[in-house]
Amino acid sequence: MSFGTMFLQMGAGMGKSLLIFALTLLFSMPLGMIVAFGRMSKNKIIQTAVKFYISVMRGTPLMLQLLVIFYGPYYLFGMNIGSRFAAVIVGFSLNYAAYFAEIYRSGIQSIPVGQYEAANVLGYSKTQTFMLIILPQVIKRILPAVTNEIITLVKDTSLAFAIAYQEMFTIGKQIAASQTSFLPFVIAGVFYYVMNLMVAFAMDKAEEKLSYYR
Amino acid sequence: MKKFLALLSVSALVLSMTACGGKEEKTFKVGFDAEYPPYGYMDENGEYTGFDLELAQGVCEINGWTYEAVPINWDSKDMELNSGNIDCIWNGFTINGREDDYTWSVPYVDNSQVIVCAENSGIASLADLEGKVVGVQAASAALDALNNDHADLVATFEDLQEFGDYNSAFVELQAGSIDAVAMDVGVANYQIKSRGEGFMVLEEAISVEQYGIGFKKGNDELKDEVEEALMKLVDDGTFAELAEKYEISDLVCLGN
Repeated sequence: MSFGTMFLQMGAGMGKSLLIFALTLLFSMPLGMIVAFGRMSKNKIIQTAVKFYISVMRGTPLMLQLLVIFYGPYYLFGMNIGSRFAAVIVGFSLNYAAYFAEIYRSGIQSIPVGQYEAANVLGYSKTQTFMLIILPQVIKRILPAVTNEIITLVKDTSLAFAIAYQEMFTIGKQIAASQTSFLPFVIAGVFYYVMNLMVAFAMDKAEEKLSYYR
Repeated sequence: MKKFLALLSVSALVLSMTACGGKEEKTFKVGFDAEYPPYGYMDENGEYTGFDLELAQGVCEINGWTYEAVPINWDSKDMELNSGNIDCIWNGFTINGREDDYTWSVPYVDNSQVIVCAENSGIASLADLEGKVVGVQAASAALDALNNDHADLVATFEDLQEFGDYNSAFVELQAGSIDAVAMDVGVANYQIKSRGEGFMVLEEAISVEQYGIGFKKGNDELKDEVEEALMKLVDDGTFAELAEKYEISDLVCLGN
Protein backbone atom coordinates (compact mmCIF):
# COMPACT_ATOMS: atom_id res chain seq x y z
CA MET A 1 0.00 0.00 0.00
CA SER A 2 1.45 3.35 -1.02
CA PHE A 3 1.63 6.28 1.34
CA GLY A 4 -1.04 8.03 -0.70
CA THR A 5 -3.59 5.22 -0.42
CA MET A 6 -2.83 4.82 3.26
CA PHE A 7 -3.38 8.51 3.81
CA LEU A 8 -6.64 8.44 1.86
CA GLN A 9 -7.93 5.43 3.82
CA MET A 10 -7.13 7.14 7.08
CA GLY A 11 -8.61 10.36 5.72
CA ALA A 12 -12.07 8.81 5.82
CA GLY A 13 -11.44 8.01 9.47
CA MET A 14 -10.16 11.52 10.12
CA GLY A 15 -13.53 12.88 8.99
CA LYS A 16 -15.20 10.64 11.59
CA SER A 17 -12.76 11.68 14.31
CA LEU A 18 -13.43 15.34 13.52
CA LEU A 19 -17.16 14.71 13.60
CA ILE A 20 -16.91 13.14 17.08
CA PHE A 21 -14.87 16.15 18.13
CA ALA A 22 -17.25 18.76 16.74
CA LEU A 23 -20.50 17.13 17.90
CA THR A 24 -19.12 16.44 21.37
CA LEU A 25 -18.23 20.11 21.78
CA LEU A 26 -21.59 21.17 20.37
CA PHE A 27 -23.52 19.07 22.90
CA SER A 28 -21.28 19.00 25.95
CA MET A 29 -20.55 22.73 26.25
CA PRO A 30 -24.20 23.84 26.69
CA LEU A 31 -25.01 20.70 28.68
CA GLY A 32 -22.08 21.52 30.95
CA MET A 33 -23.66 24.88 31.71
CA ILE A 34 -26.89 23.20 32.81
CA VAL A 35 -24.94 20.74 34.93
CA ALA A 36 -22.95 23.59 36.48
CA PHE A 37 -26.17 25.36 37.50
CA GLY A 38 -27.48 22.10 38.95
CA ARG A 39 -24.26 21.69 40.89
CA MET A 40 -24.65 25.20 42.37
CA SER A 41 -28.37 24.82 42.95
CA LYS A 42 -29.71 25.66 46.41
CA ASN A 43 -32.07 22.67 46.09
CA LYS A 44 -30.27 19.90 47.98
CA ILE A 45 -31.78 17.08 45.92
CA ILE A 46 -30.73 18.53 42.58
CA GLN A 47 -27.32 19.42 43.95
CA THR A 48 -26.69 15.91 45.31
CA ALA A 49 -27.91 14.23 42.12
CA VAL A 50 -25.66 16.39 39.96
CA LYS A 51 -22.72 15.86 42.31
CA PHE A 52 -23.21 12.11 41.92
CA TYR A 53 -23.41 12.43 38.13
CA ILE A 54 -20.17 14.40 38.01
CA SER A 55 -18.38 12.01 40.33
CA VAL A 56 -19.38 8.97 38.24
CA MET A 57 -18.43 10.65 34.95
CA ARG A 58 -15.06 11.77 36.26
CA GLY A 59 -14.44 8.72 38.39
CA THR A 60 -14.80 5.99 35.73
CA PRO A 61 -12.90 5.58 32.46
CA LEU A 62 -14.56 7.04 29.37
CA MET A 63 -13.84 3.74 27.60
CA LEU A 64 -15.91 1.88 30.18
CA GLN A 65 -18.73 4.43 29.87
CA LEU A 66 -18.81 3.85 26.12
CA LEU A 67 -19.07 0.08 26.62
CA VAL A 68 -21.91 0.54 29.10
CA ILE A 69 -23.83 2.89 26.81
CA PHE A 70 -23.48 0.68 23.74
CA TYR A 71 -23.87 -2.81 25.22
CA GLY A 72 -25.62 -1.96 28.50
CA PRO A 73 -29.14 -1.48 27.11
CA TYR A 74 -29.13 -5.01 25.73
CA TYR A 75 -28.13 -6.62 29.00
CA LEU A 76 -30.49 -4.45 31.06
CA PHE A 77 -33.56 -4.17 28.84
CA GLY A 78 -32.90 -6.53 25.94
CA MET A 79 -32.80 -3.72 23.43
CA ASN A 80 -30.09 -2.87 20.98
CA ILE A 81 -28.92 0.69 20.33
CA GLY A 82 -27.63 -0.31 16.93
CA SER A 83 -25.83 2.91 16.10
CA ARG A 84 -22.22 2.93 17.27
CA PHE A 85 -21.97 6.54 16.24
CA ALA A 86 -24.89 7.63 18.44
CA ALA A 87 -23.42 5.73 21.40
CA VAL A 88 -20.06 7.44 20.88
CA ILE A 89 -21.58 10.93 20.72
CA VAL A 90 -23.82 10.34 23.77
CA GLY A 91 -20.93 8.86 25.76
CA PHE A 92 -18.49 11.62 24.92
CA SER A 93 -21.02 14.42 25.47
CA LEU A 94 -22.14 13.15 28.88
CA ASN A 95 -18.54 12.67 29.97
CA TYR A 96 -17.23 16.01 28.76
CA ALA A 97 -20.26 17.90 30.12
CA ALA A 98 -19.17 16.86 33.63
CA TYR A 99 -15.71 18.32 33.13
CA PHE A 100 -16.99 21.50 31.49
CA ALA A 101 -19.51 21.94 34.32
CA GLU A 102 -16.75 22.05 36.90
CA ILE A 103 -14.75 24.48 34.79
CA TYR A 104 -17.79 26.76 34.46
CA ARG A 105 -18.45 26.52 38.18
CA SER A 106 -14.87 27.50 39.02
CA GLY A 107 -15.27 30.55 36.78
CA ILE A 108 -18.68 31.58 38.08
CA GLN A 109 -17.74 31.20 41.72
CA SER A 110 -14.56 33.21 41.25
CA ILE A 111 -16.60 36.39 40.69
CA PRO A 112 -16.86 38.37 43.97
CA VAL A 113 -20.29 38.62 45.63
CA GLY A 114 -19.94 42.39 45.67
CA GLN A 115 -20.62 42.49 41.93
CA TYR A 116 -23.99 40.80 42.40
CA GLU A 117 -24.84 43.26 45.18
CA ALA A 118 -23.82 46.23 43.07
CA ALA A 119 -25.86 44.96 40.10
CA ASN A 120 -28.84 44.49 42.40
CA VAL A 121 -28.57 48.07 43.69
CA LEU A 122 -28.37 49.34 40.11
CA GLY A 123 -31.61 47.52 39.31
CA TYR A 124 -30.33 44.67 37.16
CA SER A 125 -32.49 41.54 37.15
CA LYS A 126 -30.89 38.18 38.00
CA THR A 127 -30.75 37.14 34.35
CA GLN A 128 -29.34 40.48 33.28
CA THR A 129 -26.71 40.34 36.00
CA PHE A 130 -25.57 36.92 34.86
CA MET A 131 -25.65 37.48 31.10
CA LEU A 132 -24.28 41.05 31.02
CA ILE A 133 -21.91 41.21 33.97
CA ILE A 134 -20.89 37.76 35.22
CA LEU A 135 -20.72 35.61 32.07
CA PRO A 136 -18.34 37.83 30.05
CA GLN A 137 -15.84 37.75 32.90
CA VAL A 138 -16.31 34.03 33.40
CA ILE A 139 -15.57 33.27 29.75
CA LYS A 140 -12.31 35.19 29.96
CA ARG A 141 -11.22 33.41 33.11
CA ILE A 142 -12.02 29.85 32.06
CA LEU A 143 -10.57 29.96 28.54
CA PRO A 144 -7.21 28.35 29.43
CA ALA A 145 -8.94 25.52 31.29
CA VAL A 146 -11.39 25.02 28.41
CA THR A 147 -8.47 24.90 25.95
CA ASN A 148 -6.97 22.08 28.01
CA GLU A 149 -10.22 20.16 27.85
CA ILE A 150 -10.64 20.63 24.10
CA ILE A 151 -7.10 19.45 23.42
CA THR A 152 -7.74 16.35 25.52
CA LEU A 153 -10.92 15.75 23.53
CA VAL A 154 -9.01 15.69 20.23
CA LYS A 155 -6.86 12.86 21.54
CA ASP A 156 -9.73 11.10 23.34
CA THR A 157 -11.64 10.60 20.07
CA SER A 158 -9.41 7.54 19.60
CA LEU A 159 -11.23 5.88 22.54
CA ALA A 160 -14.18 5.24 20.21
CA PHE A 161 -12.28 2.09 19.19
CA ALA A 162 -13.66 0.47 22.35
CA ILE A 163 -17.02 -0.04 20.63
CA ALA A 164 -15.42 -0.59 17.23
CA TYR A 165 -16.43 2.76 15.76
CA GLN A 166 -14.20 3.13 12.71
CA GLU A 167 -12.54 6.44 13.51
CA MET A 168 -9.06 7.31 12.32
CA PHE A 169 -7.00 5.50 14.92
CA THR A 170 -9.03 2.29 14.61
CA ILE A 171 -8.50 2.29 10.84
CA GLY A 172 -4.84 3.14 11.38
CA LYS A 173 -4.42 0.07 13.56
CA GLN A 174 -6.11 -2.11 10.93
CA ILE A 175 -3.80 -0.83 8.19
CA ALA A 176 -0.83 -1.27 10.50
CA ALA A 177 -1.85 -4.91 11.03
CA SER A 178 -2.37 -5.82 7.39
CA GLN A 179 0.68 -3.92 6.12
CA THR A 180 2.83 -4.86 9.14
CA SER A 181 3.95 -1.25 9.17
CA PHE A 182 4.23 1.55 11.69
CA LEU A 183 3.58 4.31 9.20
CA PRO A 184 -0.16 4.58 10.07
CA PHE A 185 0.78 5.45 13.65
CA VAL A 186 3.08 8.21 12.39
CA ILE A 187 0.25 9.58 10.26
CA ALA A 188 -2.11 9.39 13.25
CA GLY A 189 0.39 11.19 15.48
CA VAL A 190 0.88 13.98 12.95
CA PHE A 191 -2.89 14.34 12.55
CA TYR A 192 -3.54 14.72 16.28
CA TYR A 193 -0.63 17.13 16.66
CA VAL A 194 -1.64 19.36 13.75
CA MET A 195 -5.25 19.31 14.92
CA ASN A 196 -4.20 20.42 18.40
CA LEU A 197 -1.87 23.08 17.01
CA MET A 198 -4.89 24.58 15.30
CA VAL A 199 -6.98 24.33 18.47
CA ALA A 200 -4.24 26.00 20.53
CA PHE A 201 -3.80 28.72 17.91
CA ALA A 202 -7.53 29.49 17.74
CA MET A 203 -7.86 29.58 21.52
CA ASP A 204 -4.80 31.81 21.76
CA LYS A 205 -6.42 34.25 19.36
CA ALA A 206 -9.64 34.15 21.37
CA GLU A 207 -7.78 34.90 24.59
CA GLU A 208 -5.99 37.82 22.96
CA LYS A 209 -9.24 39.20 21.68
CA LEU A 210 -10.85 38.96 25.12
CA SER A 211 -8.00 40.58 27.04
CA TYR A 212 -9.28 44.08 26.29
CA TYR A 213 -8.42 45.46 29.72
CA ARG A 214 -4.73 44.56 29.56
CA MET B 1 -51.96 13.61 -21.28
CA LYS B 2 -52.19 14.66 -17.64
CA LYS B 3 -54.40 11.70 -16.85
CA PHE B 4 -51.99 9.38 -18.54
CA LEU B 5 -49.09 10.75 -16.49
CA ALA B 6 -51.04 10.40 -13.30
CA LEU B 7 -51.90 6.83 -14.15
CA LEU B 8 -48.27 6.14 -14.95
CA SER B 9 -47.03 7.54 -11.66
CA VAL B 10 -49.65 5.64 -9.67
CA SER B 11 -48.77 2.38 -11.36
CA ALA B 12 -45.08 3.08 -10.78
CA LEU B 13 -45.84 3.67 -7.12
CA VAL B 14 -47.79 0.44 -6.82
CA LEU B 15 -45.07 -1.46 -8.62
CA SER B 16 -42.34 -0.14 -6.35
CA MET B 17 -44.42 -0.97 -3.29
CA THR B 18 -44.95 -4.54 -4.34
CA ALA B 19 -41.28 -4.79 -5.18
CA CYS B 20 -40.44 -3.78 -1.62
CA GLY B 21 -42.98 -5.97 0.07
CA GLY B 22 -42.41 -9.02 -2.11
CA LYS B 23 -39.20 -10.35 -0.68
CA GLU B 24 -37.52 -9.04 2.38
CA GLU B 25 -33.81 -8.68 1.89
CA LYS B 26 -31.90 -10.30 4.71
CA THR B 27 -28.64 -8.77 5.86
CA PHE B 28 -25.95 -11.15 7.08
CA LYS B 29 -23.68 -9.28 9.48
CA VAL B 30 -20.29 -10.95 9.77
CA GLY B 31 -18.33 -9.95 12.85
CA PHE B 32 -14.57 -10.03 12.49
CA ASP B 33 -11.35 -8.58 13.87
CA ALA B 34 -9.92 -6.36 11.12
CA GLU B 35 -6.42 -6.83 12.50
CA TYR B 36 -6.27 -10.53 11.76
CA PRO B 37 -4.72 -11.25 8.36
CA PRO B 38 -5.06 -13.48 6.37
CA TYR B 39 -8.54 -14.30 7.73
CA GLY B 40 -9.92 -10.80 7.96
CA TYR B 41 -8.12 -7.51 7.30
CA MET B 42 -8.07 -4.29 5.28
CA ASP B 43 -6.65 -4.74 1.80
CA GLU B 44 -4.70 -2.38 -0.46
CA ASN B 45 -7.85 -0.53 -1.49
CA GLY B 46 -9.15 -0.11 2.02
CA GLU B 47 -11.77 -2.85 1.58
CA TYR B 48 -12.25 -5.50 4.23
CA THR B 49 -11.22 -8.86 2.87
CA GLY B 50 -9.57 -12.14 3.81
CA PHE B 51 -10.16 -15.87 3.52
CA ASP B 52 -13.07 -15.91 5.95
CA LEU B 53 -14.70 -12.77 4.63
CA GLU B 54 -14.60 -13.96 1.02
CA LEU B 55 -16.22 -17.21 2.12
CA ALA B 56 -18.90 -15.24 3.94
CA GLN B 57 -19.48 -13.21 0.79
CA GLY B 58 -19.89 -16.42 -1.19
CA VAL B 59 -22.39 -17.74 1.34
CA CYS B 60 -24.40 -14.52 1.06
CA GLU B 61 -24.46 -14.78 -2.74
CA ILE B 62 -25.79 -18.32 -2.61
CA ASN B 63 -28.46 -17.51 -0.04
CA GLY B 64 -29.39 -14.17 -1.59
CA TRP B 65 -28.48 -12.21 1.53
CA THR B 66 -26.95 -8.76 1.71
CA TYR B 67 -23.41 -9.14 2.96
CA GLU B 68 -22.18 -6.77 5.64
CA ALA B 69 -18.74 -6.94 7.22
CA VAL B 70 -18.76 -5.52 10.75
CA PRO B 71 -15.30 -4.93 12.20
CA ILE B 72 -15.43 -5.50 15.96
CA ASN B 73 -13.17 -5.08 18.93
CA TRP B 74 -12.14 -8.70 19.66
CA ASP B 75 -12.46 -8.22 23.42
CA SER B 76 -16.17 -7.36 22.99
CA LYS B 77 -17.09 -10.17 20.58
CA ASP B 78 -19.57 -11.82 22.97
CA MET B 79 -21.38 -8.58 23.65
CA GLU B 80 -21.56 -7.85 19.91
CA LEU B 81 -22.97 -11.31 19.19
CA ASN B 82 -25.43 -11.43 22.09
CA SER B 83 -26.84 -7.97 21.45
CA GLY B 84 -27.40 -8.81 17.79
CA ASN B 85 -24.97 -6.30 16.29
CA ILE B 86 -23.49 -9.23 14.39
CA ASP B 87 -24.99 -12.54 13.24
CA CYS B 88 -21.84 -14.60 13.63
CA ILE B 89 -18.17 -14.47 14.45
CA TRP B 90 -16.29 -15.61 11.38
CA ASN B 91 -12.65 -14.80 11.71
CA GLY B 92 -10.24 -17.60 12.49
CA PHE B 93 -12.42 -18.39 15.49
CA THR B 94 -11.14 -21.32 17.51
CA ILE B 95 -13.72 -23.90 18.58
CA ASN B 96 -11.63 -25.77 21.12
CA GLY B 97 -12.25 -24.65 24.67
CA ARG B 98 -15.34 -22.69 23.59
CA GLU B 99 -17.46 -25.68 22.50
CA ASP B 100 -20.34 -24.89 24.84
CA ASP B 101 -20.31 -21.11 24.48
CA TYR B 102 -21.54 -20.82 20.90
CA THR B 103 -23.46 -22.75 18.28
CA TRP B 104 -20.70 -23.90 15.95
CA SER B 105 -20.53 -24.69 12.26
CA VAL B 106 -18.44 -27.60 11.04
CA PRO B 107 -14.72 -26.95 11.48
CA TYR B 108 -13.16 -25.66 8.26
CA VAL B 109 -9.52 -25.03 9.21
CA ASP B 110 -7.11 -27.21 11.20
CA ASN B 111 -5.12 -24.69 13.07
CA SER B 112 -2.31 -24.98 15.54
CA GLN B 113 -1.08 -22.49 18.08
CA VAL B 114 2.65 -22.02 17.68
CA ILE B 115 5.54 -20.06 19.13
CA VAL B 116 7.34 -17.54 16.93
CA CYS B 117 10.77 -16.31 17.94
CA ALA B 118 13.79 -14.66 16.40
CA GLU B 119 15.98 -17.08 14.40
CA ASN B 120 19.07 -16.21 16.40
CA SER B 121 17.39 -16.38 19.80
CA GLY B 122 18.66 -19.88 20.55
CA ILE B 123 15.14 -21.05 21.38
CA ALA B 124 14.51 -24.42 19.76
CA SER B 125 11.82 -26.02 21.88
CA LEU B 126 9.09 -25.11 24.32
CA ALA B 127 11.37 -26.00 27.22
CA ASP B 128 13.82 -23.29 26.10
CA LEU B 129 11.21 -20.66 26.92
CA GLU B 130 12.10 -20.92 30.60
CA GLY B 131 12.89 -17.48 31.98
CA LYS B 132 11.78 -15.75 28.78
CA VAL B 133 9.11 -13.12 28.18
CA VAL B 134 6.35 -14.47 25.93
CA GLY B 135 3.77 -12.33 24.19
CA VAL B 136 0.21 -13.35 23.31
CA GLN B 137 -2.98 -11.64 22.12
CA ALA B 138 -5.49 -10.84 24.85
CA ALA B 139 -8.64 -13.02 24.81
CA SER B 140 -7.05 -15.29 22.18
CA ALA B 141 -7.06 -19.05 21.79
CA ALA B 142 -3.28 -19.05 22.21
CA LEU B 143 -3.69 -17.49 25.63
CA ASP B 144 -6.28 -20.11 26.62
CA ALA B 145 -4.06 -22.91 25.36
CA LEU B 146 -1.10 -21.62 27.36
CA ASN B 147 -3.07 -21.10 30.56
CA ASN B 148 -5.10 -24.30 30.40
CA ASP B 149 -2.80 -26.90 28.84
CA HIS B 150 0.62 -25.49 29.64
CA ALA B 151 0.23 -23.97 33.08
CA ASP B 152 3.52 -25.61 34.19
CA LEU B 153 5.36 -24.14 31.22
CA VAL B 154 3.84 -20.70 31.76
CA ALA B 155 5.01 -20.80 35.36
CA THR B 156 8.62 -20.98 34.11
CA PHE B 157 8.25 -17.86 31.91
CA GLU B 158 9.62 -14.65 33.24
CA ASP B 159 6.39 -13.04 32.12
CA LEU B 160 3.38 -13.70 29.89
CA GLN B 161 2.65 -10.38 28.22
CA GLU B 162 -0.78 -9.75 26.69
CA PHE B 163 -1.15 -7.54 23.61
CA GLY B 164 -4.18 -6.07 21.90
CA ASP B 165 -2.91 -6.98 18.44
CA TYR B 166 -0.11 -8.97 16.84
CA ASN B 167 1.48 -5.97 15.18
CA SER B 168 2.68 -4.49 18.44
CA ALA B 169 3.71 -7.91 19.71
CA PHE B 170 5.87 -8.41 16.62
CA VAL B 171 7.44 -4.98 16.93
CA GLU B 172 8.42 -5.80 20.50
CA LEU B 173 9.79 -9.12 19.34
CA GLN B 174 11.86 -7.31 16.73
CA ALA B 175 13.02 -4.79 19.31
CA GLY B 176 13.95 -7.62 21.67
CA SER B 177 11.75 -6.56 24.58
CA ILE B 178 9.95 -9.91 24.38
CA ASP B 179 11.53 -13.23 23.35
CA ALA B 180 8.66 -15.08 21.69
CA VAL B 181 5.04 -14.67 20.59
CA ALA B 182 2.35 -17.36 20.78
CA MET B 183 -0.16 -17.23 17.91
CA ASP B 184 -2.09 -19.10 15.22
CA VAL B 185 0.11 -20.70 12.61
CA GLY B 186 -1.76 -19.03 9.72
CA VAL B 187 -1.26 -15.60 11.21
CA ALA B 188 2.37 -16.43 12.01
CA ASN B 189 3.04 -17.35 8.38
CA TYR B 190 1.45 -14.12 7.14
CA GLN B 191 3.45 -12.02 9.58
CA ILE B 192 6.75 -13.73 8.82
CA LYS B 193 6.17 -13.54 5.09
CA SER B 194 5.44 -9.81 5.12
CA ARG B 195 8.19 -8.97 7.61
CA GLY B 196 10.94 -10.91 5.89
CA GLU B 197 13.78 -12.96 7.33
CA GLY B 198 14.80 -13.33 10.92
CA PHE B 199 11.85 -15.17 12.44
CA MET B 200 11.03 -18.80 12.84
CA VAL B 201 8.16 -20.97 14.03
CA LEU B 202 8.94 -23.62 16.65
CA GLU B 203 8.15 -27.08 15.35
CA GLU B 204 6.62 -28.07 18.64
CA ALA B 205 3.07 -26.60 18.67
CA ILE B 206 1.33 -25.51 21.86
CA SER B 207 -1.99 -26.93 20.78
CA VAL B 208 -3.86 -28.28 17.79
CA GLU B 209 -7.33 -26.95 17.26
CA GLN B 210 -9.99 -26.11 14.70
CA TYR B 211 -11.67 -23.01 13.36
CA GLY B 212 -15.40 -22.77 13.00
CA ILE B 213 -18.04 -20.13 12.48
CA GLY B 214 -19.51 -19.14 15.82
CA PHE B 215 -23.22 -18.31 16.11
CA LYS B 216 -25.19 -17.15 19.11
CA LYS B 217 -25.96 -20.17 21.27
CA GLY B 218 -29.16 -21.78 20.04
CA ASN B 219 -29.24 -20.12 16.63
CA ASP B 220 -29.17 -23.46 14.79
CA GLU B 221 -31.40 -22.26 11.98
CA LEU B 222 -28.94 -19.65 10.75
CA LYS B 223 -26.05 -22.03 11.33
CA ASP B 224 -27.67 -24.66 9.10
CA GLU B 225 -28.34 -22.16 6.32
CA VAL B 226 -24.76 -20.88 6.37
CA GLU B 227 -23.29 -24.36 6.61
CA GLU B 228 -25.32 -25.61 3.66
CA ALA B 229 -24.10 -22.72 1.50
CA LEU B 230 -20.55 -23.23 2.73
CA MET B 231 -20.69 -26.85 1.62
CA LYS B 232 -21.76 -25.70 -1.85
CA LEU B 233 -18.67 -23.50 -1.97
CA VAL B 234 -16.58 -26.52 -1.00
CA ASP B 235 -18.19 -28.69 -3.70
CA ASP B 236 -17.76 -26.20 -6.52
CA GLY B 237 -14.10 -25.64 -5.67
CA THR B 238 -14.40 -22.01 -4.54
CA PHE B 239 -13.27 -22.99 -1.06
CA ALA B 240 -10.06 -24.62 -2.30
CA GLU B 241 -9.38 -21.68 -4.65
CA LEU B 242 -9.66 -19.20 -1.80
CA ALA B 243 -7.46 -21.34 0.42
CA GLU B 244 -4.82 -21.25 -2.30
CA LYS B 245 -5.22 -17.50 -2.78
CA TYR B 246 -4.59 -16.88 0.92
CA GLU B 247 -1.85 -19.55 1.10
CA ILE B 248 -3.50 -21.68 3.75
CA SER B 249 -4.17 -24.75 1.58
CA ASP B 250 -2.30 -27.02 3.97
CA LEU B 251 -4.49 -25.87 6.86
CA VAL B 252 -8.04 -26.14 5.51
CA CYS B 253 -9.91 -29.32 6.40
CA LEU B 254 -12.99 -29.30 4.18
CA GLY B 255 -13.20 -30.91 0.77
CA ASN B 256 -9.93 -32.86 0.82
